[in-house]
Amino acid sequence: MPVATKTKKLTFKDFSNPSEQLAHIDPEDLYPLPPPYDKLEDQPGFKQLTEEARSKFEASLDDTMVLNIPKPESKEEEERLVKLFRSGLEKLFTRENNWTFLQPTTLSMEHCARCQSCIKDCPIYEASGYNELYRPTYRAEILRRLYFKYIKGGNSWWKKFNNGDIELNWTLISRLCELSYRCTLCRRCAQSCPIGVDNGQLTREIRKLFSAEMGITAKDLHEKGSVQQLKIGSSTGMNDIVVKDNCDFIDEDMEERTGIKIKTIWDKEGADVLLIHNAGEFLAWPDNPGAFALILQEMGISWTLSSDIAGYDGVNYGLFYDDVQLARVAMKHYEIAKKLKVKKILMGECGHLTKAMGVTGDRLTQAIPRENAMTFIENVVFSGKLSFDPERNYFPVTLHDPCNMVRSMGIVEPQRRVLRYIAPKFREMHPHGVRNYCCGGGSGWAIMSQNNFLDWRIQVSGRKKFEQILNAFSNVDPGPETPKYVCTPCSNCKGQIRDLFDYYGAKEKSGLYYAGLIELVVNAMTNVKENFIDFEMM
Amino acid sequence: MTFLHFSVYITTLVFIITVVARAIRIARMPVHLRWELYPVPHEKGRAHYGGSILEEVDWWTKPHHKDHIGEFIVMISEILLLKGVWEHNRRLWFGTFPLHFGLYLLMGNIALLILYGILHIFNIDVAQLLTLIRVITWVGCILGAVGSLIMLYKRFFDSDLKEFSTMSHYFNLIILGAIFISGIIWVVSDEQMVANLAKTYTGLITFSAIPKLQAAGWWHIGLSLFFIFYLPFTHMTHFFTKYFTYHSVRWEDESNLPGDPLQKKLDPQLKQIVTWAAPYVGADGKKNWVDIVTSPVPEIEEKK
Repeated sequence: MPVATKTKKLTFKDFSNPSEQLAHIDPEDLYPLPPPYDKLEDQPGFKQLTEEARSKFEASLDDTMVLNIPKPESKEEEERLVKLFRSGLEKLFTRENNWTFLQPTTLSMEHCARCQSCIKDCPIYEASGYNELYRPTYRAEILRRLYFKYIKGGNSWWKKFNNGDIELNWTLISRLCELSYRCTLCRRCAQSCPIGVDNGQLTREIRKLFSAEMGITAKDLHEKGSVQQLKIGSSTGMNDIVVKDNCDFIDEDMEERTGIKIKTIWDKEGADVLLIHNAGEFLAWPDNPGAFALILQEMGISWTLSSDIAGYDGVNYGLFYDDVQLARVAMKHYEIAKKLKVKKILMGECGHLTKAMGVTGDRLTQAIPRENAMTFIENVVFSGKLSFDPERNYFPVTLHDPCNMVRSMGIVEPQRRVLRYIAPKFREMHPHGVRNYCCGGGSGWAIMSQNNFLDWRIQVSGRKKFEQILNAFSNVDPGPETPKYVCTPCSNCKGQIRDLFDYYGAKEKSGLYYAGLIELVVNAMTNVKENFIDFEMM
Repeated sequence: MTFLHFSVYITTLVFIITVVARAIRIARMPVHLRWELYPVPHEKGRAHYGGSILEEVDWWTKPHHKDHIGEFIVMISEILLLKGVWEHNRRLWFGTFPLHFGLYLLMGNIALLILYGILHIFNIDVAQLLTLIRVITWVGCILGAVGSLIMLYKRFFDSDLKEFSTMSHYFNLIILGAIFISGIIWVVSDEQMVANLAKTYTGLITFSAIPKLQAAGWWHIGLSLFFIFYLPFTHMTHFFTKYFTYHSVRWEDESNLPGDPLQKKLDPQLKQIVTWAAPYVGADGKKNWVDIVTSPVPEIEEKK
């Protein structure tokens, strides 16, 4: 176990004290990676924020910036924002505005023992060299102190005695907002809390307060994300015509590569299954929707895609920052399924899509049942209707567990049973299953690269995952001659793993590749042309 | 009735009322969106690896078998042995476990002393019970004192804990330490300590006279009463709110399928008026949750 360098202790007073930059990451403090990624001088480095960005926006938290919060133009503007924050804080603890999470939030606010049992389980805190700013309890404690100071009644001496004090000012507000985007909401820390406090959920509440009351959001999640999805149809910017065109191309490509003619079906009323992908798949990983289409067709399942607004894009970025947007998107998906009179929704290979549509949105309305892709694929593989040759997948394979699907939904074994059968050289990462590490791009980060944030999410938040991947293949030829497949059944995680591999040149140096689960299934099908997975093309 | 009688009855009453009120307040909070965290121990046959019923094809057509014994075992090992701390914060466990276990033993003693008092009313004298109480007092107070001192040391000197510790953390540990240490002094200095304690409880139960106690005894009882009175107003209420964090959030996995009764609880919540101020929400003081989430995102002019 590498020994990390301890960084300077941060106090809660520091957080409200104006300073140029509260915390800094020295690359030498970062958790060391295994060879050949262990030499700092060989790494691409960490870009600095530009002077222009620092002068225009609130950038006093750390080395990076996600939100580009404009600096207030006057003292009055600053005071207005502080007032707005306080009204948002109050609404966060009202039934009317936050019935959705009032109970979990209040419980986590009022009962933390401040025992710090959760801190070592945070991959960001560990990877950063235990930088105090990223301690999972730090931002939660700031919210907690504000809650006791401004929301809970009682004598102020008593409140300070029990819960400490904090100074509320614009410095704190702007930093807290930015700090809520230094946690991937993976909830690994919540698993280790003996009392049941959930720092990940509290981080989401902070994001919600800023979004729903102050209108401060991450542009990629909100304007380009859920707003665009509800207006155009997809957070990718694709409208229904473009997505249909893409699918035509995918169908042709699949026929050429598999020898099986495929026809994607659109808007078929009364189909048994409505398939909803993360639309990023159509653009970045078209083999995945192609493989789903092939499997559904070969299984003789009556299925359809929807070309309605949001019907062909299952992403729901509201899950990461806001209940209103979460509910708007989830309701769209449920309405479309009802309109098409399907028997069930099949949720594509995407963790947050599966959680938002499958469980988190479940209490908005009594929707048509939803099934996750892992269970569906397992059922296909062991149905006896298709024939497989596992030797076609005779290369080292490991499995990444998407937090939203595994830790938050308990979908653990179906994908493993499939891999044990069709991938003879399958090996686990450690730890895995519900104790997995986040890919480092969770909570929508995989689509966020503002300023130098890409550097941060690769070098800090993705560090533990990259180490895990390398260690999973430590007993095979480390060079690029042996291709190694990271099965990643989640679009968001694939985006992060793609960026990790690109950043470190992992394909060239170590022969690391990534794709979903269903591609491995199609690759093993005996009636499909060989080498559907073509490492030279990946 | 003596001052001690009065104090004990008032303290007990305040403790019960405050705890019950707090529990009701939490239990009556609105049904929240699903936010469970695996492993969920009532998942029969799957809890050991963290699986759920969602792993089943067409899970909504199948019965959700729940393993309540498995859930109970997890709860017991968590409450009695502080398993979570053992697994995730081993160094702290060596302080917090003796502290908590010492407390549990003294709470067990209270139950035994009440039992002794009740038996006494019926003229049943169980001498063995007094021996057991004596052993528990010894073990509980020593464990608790050691735990309090270790925790106090950690709160003062452990860099992970120091910044997060408030005045109440130190105060609570000092009070607890004083309760345990005064208990040790009492049991060491008074051969009749257990008999006197038993007579005190009998006196409290039967509203009759209480024996004369040593100074250490008064300190022990006085500090314990203060702690019981003060406890429900602090974060230490996690001793019972933990039930809610686990059962109402972490392990709460009730689905809302067509026809399920859950929707009846949700409907009034969805009719509440939203007042979030961000323009994209589109709240106007009249629209409720359903209106808001089924209407398009309002057009917002981009700030130049």
